Amino acid sequence: MSHAEQAVPPGRILRYNFRERITHWAASISYIYLLLTGLAFWSPWLAWIAVILGGGQVSRMLHPWIGLIFVAAVMCMYSLWARQMHTTEADRKWWHSLKFYVQNEDDKMPPAGRYNAGQKSLFWSFFWAGLVLLASGLVLWLPEYIPWSLRWLRYIAVFLHPVAALVTIANFMIHIYMSVFAERGALDSMIHGDVSEHFVERYHPGWYKEIVGESSPPRK
Amino acid sequence: MSQATLRVQKISGHAGSIPGEDTQREYTVCKLIDTTTCIGCKACEVACMEWNDLPFGETIFGNSYQTMPETRWNYWNLILFNEHVREEDGSLMWLMRKNQCMHCAEPGCLAACPADGAIVQYTNGIVDFQQANCIGCGYCITGCPFDIPKMNPKNNRVFKCTLCTDRVSEGLEPACIKSCPTGCLHFGSKEDMLDLAGKRAKQLRDHSNFPHAGVYDPPGVGGTGVIYVLHDAAHPEIYSGLPKDPRVPWMVKLWKGPLKWLGNVAMVGGLIGLFVHYLRFGPKEREETIKEPHEGAQP
Amino acid sequence: MTNGWVDIKNTDMMLIMGGNPAENHPCGFKWAIEAKRNRNAKMIVVDPRFTRTASVADYFCQLRAGTDIAFLGGMIRYAIENERIAKDYLLNYTNAGFIVRDGFKLPEDEGVFSGFDAAKSSYDRSSWNYAGTLPATPPPAAAKPGQPPAAPPLPPMPEKVEYDQTLKNPNCVYQLLKKHYSRYTPEMVERVTGVSKEQFLKAADIFTSVRKDGDTKKVATIIYAVGWTQHSSGTQTIRTAAMLQLLMGNVGRAGGGVNALRGHSNIQGATDMAGIFDNLPGYLKVPTPADGNFEGWMKRITPKSAKPAQWDSFNYWSNAPKFGVSFLKAMYGDAATKQNDWAYDYLPKVDRNFSWVQLWDNMYNGIVKGMISFGMNGVAIGPNSRKNIDALKKADWLVVGEIYPDETSEFWKSPGISTDEMKKIQTTVYRLPCAGFAEKDGSFTNSARWLQWKNAALPMPGDCRLDQALVAQIFLKVRELYKKEGGKFPDPILNLTWNYTDPSNPSLSEVLKEINGKTFVDAEDPATKVQLKAGQQVPGFAWLKDDGSTSCGNWIYAGSFTEAGNLTMRRDAGDPSGMGVHQNWGWSWPANRRVLYNRASCDLNGKPWDPSRRQVWWNEAQQKWVGNDVPDFKADSKPSDHMGPFIMNPEGVGRIFAPLGALADGPFPTHYEPTESPVENLLHPKQTHNPIAKKFKSADDSYGTVKDGFNVVCTTYRLTEHYHYWTKNNPMNVQLVPEPFIEIAAEMADEMGIRGGEVLQVTSARGKYIAKAMVTKRIKKMTIDGKPVYQIGIPIHWGYRGIAEDEDKTAKTPVNSLSPSVIDPNAYTPEFKGFLVKVEKYVKA
Repeated sequence: MSHAEQAVPPGRILRYNFRERITHWAASISYIYLLLTGLAFWSPWLAWIAVILGGGQVSRMLHPWIGLIFVAAVMCMYSLWARQMHTTEADRKWWHSLKFYVQNEDDKMPPAGRYNAGQKSLFWSFFWAGLVLLASGLVLWLPEYIPWSLRWLRYIAVFLHPVAALVTIANFMIHIYMSVFAERGALDSMIHGDVSEHFVERYHPGWYKEIVGESSPPRK
Repeated sequence: MSQATLRVQKISGHAGSIPGEDTQREYTVCKLIDTTTCIGCKACEVACMEWNDLPFGETIFGNSYQTMPETRWNYWNLILFNEHVREEDGSLMWLMRKNQCMHCAEPGCLAACPADGAIVQYTNGIVDFQQANCIGCGYCITGCPFDIPKMNPKNNRVFKCTLCTDRVSEGLEPACIKSCPTGCLHFGSKEDMLDLAGKRAKQLRDHSNFPHAGVYDPPGVGGTGVIYVLHDAAHPEIYSGLPKDPRVPWMVKLWKGPLKWLGNVAMVGGLIGLFVHYLRFGPKEREETIKEPHEGAQP
Repeated sequence: MTNGWVDIKNTDMMLIMGGNPAENHPCGFKWAIEAKRNRNAKMIVVDPRFTRTASVADYFCQLRAGTDIAFLGGMIRYAIENERIAKDYLLNYTNAGFIVRDGFKLPEDEGVFSGFDAAKSSYDRSSWNYAGTLPATPPPAAAKPGQPPAAPPLPPMPEKVEYDQTLKNPNCVYQLLKKHYSRYTPEMVERVTGVSKEQFLKAADIFTSVRKDGDTKKVATIIYAVGWTQHSSGTQTIRTAAMLQLLMGNVGRAGGGVNALRGHSNIQGATDMAGIFDNLPGYLKVPTPADGNFEGWMKRITPKSAKPAQWDSFNYWSNAPKFGVSFLKAMYGDAATKQNDWAYDYLPKVDRNFSWVQLWDNMYNGIVKGMISFGMNGVAIGPNSRKNIDALKKADWLVVGEIYPDETSEFWKSPGISTDEMKKIQTTVYRLPCAGFAEKDGSFTNSARWLQWKNAALPMPGDCRLDQALVAQIFLKVRELYKKEGGKFPDPILNLTWNYTDPSNPSLSEVLKEINGKTFVDAEDPATKVQLKAGQQVPGFAWLKDDGSTSCGNWIYAGSFTEAGNLTMRRDAGDPSGMGVHQNWGWSWPANRRVLYNRASCDLNGKPWDPSRRQVWWNEAQQKWVGNDVPDFKADSKPSDHMGPFIMNPEGVGRIFAPLGALADGPFPTHYEPTESPVENLLHPKQTHNPIAKKFKSADDSYGTVKDGFNVVCTTYRLTEHYHYWTKNNPMNVQLVPEPFIEIAAEMADEMGIRGGEVLQVTSARGKYIAKAMVTKRIKKMTIDGKPVYQIGIPIHWGYRGIAEDEDKTAKTPVNSLSPSVIDPNAYTPEFKGFLVKVEKYVKA
């Protein structure tokens, strides 16, 4: 990834280039639609969501198409980020120290790279769940084309689709919480692309070291 | 095909109370199909098409007298033909089974349906699709153990036999029953039909070469609103794949039961957990901290 | 039907053979199911194919098409050998004890009865007579000048027939019967029919079990349709069934009888109303030139009773002159007088065969120049459709009244005719738009002889006309021409009664009223003192007179439209006896009785054989026959009079032996192979085929043999889903069965290496048929005399006009392009079933 792609103000570091940002938002907007319509199908108590979104028929009609967009976006993400998402020794340590992360004691955390282990897990969850959703979704989309003798495919699909969706929902909730509420600047980074050096240094010291070339300054 | 005179006792995808539950004194209706006197004349197929004004479709020759391989969204009543060789004596049986919605007491389609009021069960037991409410998800197709609901690809809604709710609600028998020339079809209360079917099965056991004759009213779906008298009740599958022990697929049950609870608990729990986390720990860094530039970051 | 549809519910045993009622009469078949459901009746189905009827039968045998007499003959033998016969019935109600004259010879090894003239292929039937003194016969009337000399008339029957109540006399009918069918052993049945000995014995045992251990209570019925009639020995097949039923005492009884299932809603009515060329309405024989005059005609058709001296015989046909005069009065009204022999001369005289196949042959040979074709599709009906098409090419004109364009009205479009050839066809075709059945009123006479009125359900579309309007308008025009131009003999046309309110569109009510007949003078029935005023409708045929004081268009329909109104409209479903008599539903000929010969349902003393199924009985107090049904008998004939129950026969009894002119090809049925058959006749190899069945000799007629490669037996039939050749125009029916097919045995398909859906070409000596194969287990490979024989089946319903045909989805080959022009010598029915073909994979040219 070249830093010259996009000019960033002084003191700031480009975290997500344009391709990454557009891919992310394609995935996230489609996902939110899928989530909302999916929830409407999930429970009669949430059926009102579909009403707001144009009715059950429209929701059911668009859901699979939007699903295709979502999976396509996830696949783009894969091509963009997969190489950076390999689990490292540091990630394993990170998981061991999860307690500190949860308690906002980030300084007790082992230094994370561009993506910490949690983010990597988010990535892989969405990737694999996306594939499961795609496969099961296709079966659910076109049940008439599944011959009666292969009806077990439909039974599996009807179960796996919500299971995979629930996996994404869990990850999604944490992701939103982290990016919007917990880590100030994270949301901004996905809009403008850049983050403060402080942000990088604080949350991704490994990456900071990589791009700034020096060890992180001593903390206060 | 909503009928004002029919009240709903079960309803799909519905939050809250059910409009017709416990509001009516009514018996469960039932169609009896005596396969041992069915002659495969297809009068019921025609009557169904005519009464319901179903559009004609193209059919192709399929090495059989059967009109088409399976029911269609616009063909709800189909006699299935099977040439079966009896194991006992090698004699041939030409089995004909009128296939249509079985109107299960515990309908898998209704259980699987997420759309509010798209599938209802009336207090008389008829399971009816309300196409106006159907969202076209096709889950009913998956939920049905008899492969009955079919999607109309043009309007993306699912159709099947209504047991002629419009006739039954007016005190008439379904069109297929009316048309049956041999009287192999009967219609009445479930109790009466079970009685009639039982007697016929006994007659077959006592006076014909069918020692295993019996009644098909599968308990796995709570019994059905369409019951069969079979020459060989021990092997319903010889009747072009009538399932021996039909049940709502357990995956569907798992999904609509435990998974749903688990998911709801997880989602609500997760939201609460995150909120509590925020209250307890707040953001990782306060606004003001972030604003203060780090000297080390100065170029 | 001797009995009726509803009556089938009273039976204990059904033999369904040569018919497929589940498919072709599904509504009537409910009564067969009722019998199974309510009486535990057994059903045996014998057919070349495992049909939908077979699917609900208790026992099924697959036999080779055209071998029914062999099977039934075996049944007769089985019944005799095992004493499963109704002894008292047989002795008193049949001619079993009658002695047959010396000189009569059974076919035995020769294969022909006595009197056969091989050169003329015909019989001198005078030896087929009972023993007894023959009455003197006057010399035959001299032939009129210009007419061929008539064949010498058959001798009459003896008035006092010799008989032997012990049935021991070797020349008595019973002994001859026993001897004749002694050759029809189970082994022989197996060799001829392909039904294994075990299967045959099982079927025979089940069927005759109603007479097990001398039981006289149970009843068996035999149900058949055109699977029996459409053979070169069709009439004799039905005779065999009648004989078996007489032997077992099943005729005249509720739940018994010999029951023909008619293939159309009104075929019975058509037959009753002179649908056959040699009949007038009510089965009066048409006059021939040899009759000379009215008296001669009546003499020929009015039999004298012929019976054992101690017995009585009603001999109902002795009333023929009353029916004949009343018929002529109905036809010609005041123009028919005693002085002019009741206008006898107006009636056409039949001097030759004018049956269906003969008519087409005549057209083919340029004798018939034009044809008016209503309510039928002659090309598709066949047989030998190609010949019929070629015949129409030679006609000057053709008028077709139809509701769809059909194979006949578009014969010139039949496949294989090039545009150039089409241009050369000079036939002028007029197509008249007719009304469909639901657009017409009128009565249907069903198989049970019930006349049931129907109302028009729909208005006619466009410019359609009622059949009677079209016919009337043609008639009025012809009459006008005769009026204007005179002509050779205008009298029959000018004097024809045509007193309808709207002469150009007669109402069918008026027509039925006319058929029923009326009296021209005041009349009184001496027995009941019932009075009729001049001009009133007659209440029944007993009122008809031979003095010209009554008219009646069809004596058997007298009573259908009386002063009480149109009784065919009655719809009272009440059935007090519970025996399906429904006395006030519609109207049944004759005289509203529902089971014919019902006197035979009682023993000699007039008590029902089965008290639980009481039809009629002798009421000692009233000194007359009474019952739930109308007694088919002389009401006051005491049982001690020993009057025979079969009142239409001069003998008064049922004919196990059919004497003299009753049948053309033998007094006992004997098995003849179909005209085209894969084997020689195993019973008498010297005479393989029916010696007097007529084959035709035109260039379009040829007959195949196994030697020519035609080695597969083909039979044709109808499907439930279609009705003849016109539902192929109805999208609903087309959806049910979209295209033609050929049913073949799975073994045959394996041998040929073909699968269901692959296209086959079936070729006979006359034409070819192309359609997809339906490979099925329902037709099995057969072993005939040790050799493998395959049968195939083809439904008849397609041709070259229809929805699938017009969309080029079929090969457009009418199935009757295959069938041969061969006719049964009695009813002249073509042999549509059991002819030879070869079957190949179709290779597109």
